[in-house]
Parts: sequence; C-alpha cells; structure tokens
Amino acid sequence: MTIGDRVPRGDGPEKVTGQAKYTADITMTGMLHARFLYAERPRARIIGIDTAAAKALPGVFAVITQDDMLDVRYGFFVKDRTVFATDEVRFEAEVVAAVAALTPEIAAEAVRLIEVDYEDLEPILDVEDALRDDVDLVHAGFASYEQMAGVDRDRNDCAHMTSVKGDVDAGFAEADVVVSARYRSDMSHAAPIEPHAVIAEWQGERVTIWSTSQVPFPARSQVARTLGIPESNVRIIVPHLGGGFGGKCDVHFETHIAALAKVTRRPVKLVFTRREEFLATDKPRHAAIIDLETGVRNDGTITARRAKIILDGGAYSGDSHFASEISIMMLQGPYRIPNLSAEVHTVYTNRTPSGSVRAPGAPQTVWAVEQHTEEIAAQLGMDPIDFRRKNLVEDGDTGQTGQRFDNPNAAACLERALEMAGYGQELPEGEAFGVSCGWWFSLPVASGAYVKLNADGSGTIVTGAQENGSGSVMGMPALAAEELGMAPEQFSIVYQDTSAGPFDLGSAGSQTTMNNGRAVIDAARQVRDELLQLAAHTLEAAVDDLELVDGAVRVRGAPTVAVTIGELAAQAHGGELLLGKGSGQPLPMPEHDASECVGRLFYPAFAHPSFFCHVGRIRVDQDTGVVQVLDWSAAFDFGTILNPIGAEGQVEGGTVQGIGFGLLEGSIYKDGHQQNASLLEYKLQTAIDAPPIKIAFVGGPAPAGPHGARAIGEPPVVGPPAALANGIAAATGARVRHLPMTPERVWESMQATGVN
Amino acid sequence: MINPLSLSVNGVPYTAAIEPHRTLLSVLREEFGITGPKEGCDDSECGACMVLIDGEPTNACCYLALQAEDREITTIEGISDSPVGSRIQARMLEDGGIQCGFCTPGIVVMATALLSSNPNPNEEEIRNALAGNLCRCTGYQKIVAAVSKAAGDLE
Repeated sequence: MTIGDRVPRGDGPEKVTGQAKYTADITMTGMLHARFLYAERPRARIIGIDTAAAKALPGVFAVITQDDMLDVRYGFFVKDRTVFATDEVRFEAEVVAAVAALTPEIAAEAVRLIEVDYEDLEPILDVEDALRDDVDLVHAGFASYEQMAGVDRDRNDCAHMTSVKGDVDAGFAEADVVVSARYRSDMSHAAPIEPHAVIAEWQGERVTIWSTSQVPFPARSQVARTLGIPESNVRIIVPHLGGGFGGKCDVHFETHIAALAKVTRRPVKLVFTRREEFLATDKPRHAAIIDLETGVRNDGTITARRAKIILDGGAYSGDSHFASEISIMMLQGPYRIPNLSAEVHTVYTNRTPSGSVRAPGAPQTVWAVEQHTEEIAAQLGMDPIDFRRKNLVEDGDTGQTGQRFDNPNAAACLERALEMAGYGQELPEGEAFGVSCGWWFSLPVASGAYVKLNADGSGTIVTGAQENGSGSVMGMPALAAEELGMAPEQFSIVYQDTSAGPFDLGSAGSQTTMNNGRAVIDAARQVRDELLQLAAHTLEAAVDDLELVDGAVRVRGAPTVAVTIGELAAQAHGGELLLGKGSGQPLPMPEHDASECVGRLFYPAFAHPSFFCHVGRIRVDQDTGVVQVLDWSAAFDFGTILNPIGAEGQVEGGTVQGIGFGLLEGSIYKDGHQQNASLLEYKLQTAIDAPPIKIAFVGGPAPAGPHGARAIGEPPVVGPPAALANGIAAATGARVRHLPMTPERVWESMQATGVN
Repeated sequence: MINPLSLSVNGVPYTAAIEPHRTLLSVLREEFGITGPKEGCDDSECGACMVLIDGEPTNACCYLALQAEDREITTIEGISDSPVGSRIQARMLEDGGIQCGFCTPGIVVMATALLSSNPNPNEEEIRNALAGNLCRCTGYQKIVAAVSKAAGDLE
C-alpha cells in the first residue's frame, strides 16, 4: 500500500547532498555569458541604438537588438510584445539589447558601452487614470494585436471580464443595510530562492534550451514563434527547478539566449542577479484596487453584491488573464449570494508586467472579501463566525456562475480550524484570533504520460510534467506502483524535457497531480494489462484468476504459482515490450451558466472545488503596529491525501508565503521604479517569523481526482492575508485596507480609527 | 592582477590563480566545479551559499576567495561525510524538510554548524540559527523538526 503513506521524495537524496544540478550549475565547453541592457526608465521612445563600441570590445561575440529578430509579437492571450523593445520602452527593465561575451564581466562592460538615445515620455502609472479616454495608450497599436478568441479588451484595458448572477438591483432593494469599502494591494513577488537562468545551444537547425521554466511546453511554443522555427526544433529541458511559485510560468528569456547562441555558434548562459529577479522577470503578483458593496438583511441574509477589481497588468499582458478571471471568481467567496454583479479590468501601465504568481489574483481579493465579510457582520452587530455559519455555502447552493455545490465542506473546514486554534478562549491584551474562509479549484487540462517496465524489473515513468519543488511529479511513482503492485522506489522518472514526455501544461494551476496523475494511472493500467496477459501465458492461467502483489503476478488462492515482474519484464524484452501510455483526459466542467458574463476564458466555473479556513493567533504591538504571528491553524478539503508529507508541506509553505504577502511583501514604486528590489528591503518570512502550523484535512475522496485527490499547490497561499487582516482588526479595532499590512500601515490605521 | 590561492575544500587541497575581487562562492563553483553552494542573492541575504570556513558558517557569496588562503572549507558535498551532517540530511529527507532543494545545502550546512556547537538546541534556538537561511517552499516547520530530531538521534 502506498497511497496515503508518508513516502519521502525521490529527488530528495540528490538535493540534500548538494548533487542536484540546477540550471546555473551547468557549464558547457565554449560557453559564453549573456548580459542584458535594460531601459532603466518607465516609458520612452527609442530614437537610436549604437552598439558599435560594445561590439568592438575584445571578448564580445555578439550584441543583438530587435533589429536582429523577426518582426513577430508574442503573448499567451494577447500578442503585444516583441523579444526586445521596438521603438518604445514600456517599463524600467524592458530588455533593449543583449550581449554574449567570454566572461560575465566583459558582457557587463559591453552593456555599458551600448548607447541608446531616448525621448522620455510621461509614464502611465495610475490604473484609474489609465482607464480614462484622455490618457495616453501604453500600446498605441493595441487594436492591431492578435489575441485569443474571447478576450474582451479596449485601449489600456487588456482584460475586461464580468460575472453576472440574478438581479442585483432587486437584491439591493431587499437589503436593510448596505456596506461598501475600497481595498488596495501592492504588487508582490513570487521570489523563488533560485534566480532565473537559461542556457541555449544549437546543433544544426535545432536548439536545446536549459531553462528555469515551470511551463516548458507553453514556453517552447512561444520560443518557436519568436524564432520562426518549428516547435519540434526546440527542446526545452528543465534541470532541477529551485522554486517558481508562478514567477517562472510563461516564456521569459529563452528566445533572447537562443538568438545569442545562434549568432555566436556557441552555447550561451544567462544567470540573473537577485536585483534582476525583482526588476526584470516581470511575473509579480498584480497590484489591485478592489471595490465591494454588499446588501444584507438585518437577520444576516446577504441579498446582493456589486464588485469591481482593477488589476495593474503592467506593460505587457503575459498570462495576466488568469489572474483576471480567478480574482473575479473569488468575489462571491464561499458564501450564498443570490445576486451578484462584478467586473474586472486588467490595465496596461508602465510598470513591470504582472503574471500568475501562486493563486493569481486570489490572496488580495480574498483579503478584501473576507475583511468585507467581517465589516458586514460588525455593521449588523453579529458575531463574524455566526455570520459565516449562516452564509457559508451548503449542499445544493450555487456559485456565482450557477455551478451547484455537491457537499461542500466549507462549514466543516471553519469548525475544524476554530477547534484546532482554541478559538474563543480568553487571550492576553493585544492578542486576537483572525479568521478567513475561501475556496479553490482543480484545473482540468490535458496531460500525458508513458510508463514502461525495464528488463531488470524496475519501472520508468516518462512525463511532460514539471516538478517545481512541490513534489507533485515526485508523487507519480506511488501512483504507478499502486497499479502494478510495485514499490515507489522501483520507478525512475524522466520529466520536464519537451523532447521526452508528451504535452503537459507545466506546474501551473495546481494541476499536476490531478491531470498528470490520472495519465500515469492510465498508463500503468495498460502495462498492468500487458503484464497479466504475459503472466497468463507463462503460468498457464486465465487473466481473471491472476493478481499483482508485491512485485509478482500470482494465481489467486495459489500464491506459490507466481512469476515476478522482473522475470516477466526480462522475458518481454525479447519480444513484446511492456509499455503503457495514458492521457488524463480533461474532466468536464461542472454545469454552470456564464452566458451573461463577458470576456470569460478558462474558469467560468470551478471544477472539483475545495474549501478551506485559516485561523491565526496574532499579537499587535500597540505602539509600533508590528504584527507577530503566534500560532496558526488551517483546515482544507483536499479530498484523499496521497502523501501527507507533500500535502502538509504545501500547506505549511503556502501559509507562510501568505503571511509574508499579508504583512511585509510589497513593491514600493517611485516614478515607475521599484525602490526595494533586494531581499534586504523586500523581506521574506524567516524561520523566526514563521508560526507553528496545525493542519487538518477535512472531507472524503473527491469524485474525479486520482484516488479522490484534489488540487493542493495554490490554495494554502490564498487565505492567510485575510485572516491576518481580521486578526489585526480584532486586536486593534482598526481596519487596514492596504496590503501588505506593514507596521506603518497598521499604526496609521490605528491612529485614523482613534484606537491609541 | 592575478593572485595565487591555496586552500582545502572538503579535505582536498586546491590551488588557483584568481583576481582579488572574486568571491569564495564564485571560485568554488566556477574554478573548482563545486556547485552544491548556490547563489540566491549575492548579498548575504538568503544563505543558499553557506559553507563552513574552519567550522564557522559563512555566506561564501560575500567572502573574498583570497581571505580563504590556507583555510579548511566544508561545503554541502563534504557535510555528508560527517556524522552530524549525514544525520541532518537523513532527517531532512524523511521529514519533508526539502521541496525545491535550492536552499537545502545552506540549511544543512547551518544546521550542522548549530548541532556541532549546541548538540541539544530547543526550537527557538534552531529557528534563530536558521534565521539567515531563506526557504520559500516549506514554511520552515519540517526543517525545524528535522534538525530537532537529528539532534535527538545523535544524543
């Protein structure tokens, strides 16, 4: 039995001994080093670029700009970007030119020698200004851009979506009380500890790219488009990935480095500094303005909600539309709201392009919605927990696009988390509990895998899936082993190589276990069928009489009549190979009605929804506004837990990340420039800051997931900022409506509320 | 200007001729091919490059290589040979103190230094010792538990 066991990860031994190779650890014979020239201004017209002095520097092999590239735009939803800046730079770290040289020092010197003549333009930095008709366009040519069907956009609004349910005016007419508030959140960063790195090498017409990518297949298609070569001529290999958290989704610098490698006919390597990681990787979490207005009856029944979100998409849209749609799906929260009208605008500005950081759009939206929930309860004079108990969705209730919930464990998560936390107990002065509830989904997308048995009786899983560190790909051996009566450690995995495995979306949308897991199970079942056929022949027994136990096929009721998998595999190598292929066919979306909604693309409903609740115990220093997190409890409905080590690891890590987003992590901008682009000034949570975390997994197997599992990776990061905000309000009486809730902001809110 | 450097890494003597601005991290990684220590920030902020210099935990990214003349350097690659280090490695693996693994070399080195000087640390002492090692994946709970259990195993 392996499902549900605490199985250590298969890549653990090489990681814990320092043997695991990450992209920056790779060196190749003849390798050159790349550096980029950045715009260093938020918005300007390029008058001219002079690369002559840089090219003349000894040791420089190439200096390239957009003039050396195809005139092709790329982008997952809207093709709004060129590889290097064309005519105009739109954010401070837009790449204007790239150099390849013998050493990183020579490359950096060459970058300094490139002369660019700019005409600076007034940057567009305020998202509300950007939506006005009399403000400049960030992309003057927006109307000519190709886009994915269904994207609704105009001028600086690159993703407009709506969510419409019931009759919102009638709902407000029924309300006794209407509560409204505006919440703002700053941009924050994925901040994996491994900075981005890329190495590219050509042989003939084919290029191999080693890259810190979470999404090698989607990245490959953008590389092929921008280089003008077939996808099959591009191979992307991800060595061990040192974390991503969404910041390594989408394509980044693979094309730039492949282009340098092509002109120099040498392997070329790029490794980012931490400062570049903040400024130039351009996939931070969106800054947001969130307006909420909710009508309630005096008895606590919610009658209607109007909501509007404006996301700062930055200079290019990238994969922003995921954040747009997920944030809008968070606006009903896990509550019963019969009438809802919501919209989201995702706006071009002259800031770093935002992207799909772990649970894109969700932590900041849930932070607003869950503060709003408690503000409504306070207006009604109701206890915030009782208000939730009254309004949490139950069996048969509907979500904001009409999807019907089937035994949602929203209330069970709330009660379990409260119980673990000891909610209600008397706390010392300055301490309080903070609570948040929410929901998440499992993303149904295509994914494929092969499973084969080797002559020595071991197995190999070949998958396109990407292991970002979460352990999702490392969980595949247990799934295959379960089907084949083998042990997980008997399987090796070939993964994150576009020339080996079948297509997979990558480590995005918490989808790996849900989709690739089902593909691996399908493939293993094919192998199982082949094994049984072969064993039936060998043992002269009927297939139906055989069972697979402990690495052998044996006749039921006659365990001594058996043949080992190793013997069968060795025998098969003389003829029929034991090979299986599987595709975790996308599961159908739940029934819903998004017909009145505009601009919806991927999440008109949430498949296999999972609910959660966080309860944090915090202390607020009344003099300084410093928030200390003392203790944390979290309950999740993740269905079947396939491996508790991995599931707990996601909850613990996601919770601490969420606490960081809640209290400290935000980019400070001045005139279009990030001011805190280092880990000294942009603080992550340390071992001292992180609280002890208690976890409960609530609920039974999900109907469609592998062995009843649901998605786990993103949900833990969604709820903590909201729980902290409600804890701060409970401890101080003051609402902090600007994320992150830094000591200054907590203190200011206390002053404004007259608490001190 | 090129200067001669000789030092010992994981018990093996090395010599090199290097420029004075080179960091110990860059020399370990690029001259000697010892890539266990990672570069996460180049600014002593993340601890992924941590090594022992004559037994003292040090961020190799902010230590000039020439300062290491005649010193004994232990990297994650050499930690496996020590009873303390290998016990920490085993517990990190069993307890799930590893996810992406990029911070792991620095954390194992720091934890080895801790248990070498304080064989029986409490949770607060472990958390304080690891405060300079950023981990973005785990939330630290399983790392702290692994170090604590390793200390118990070694008693």
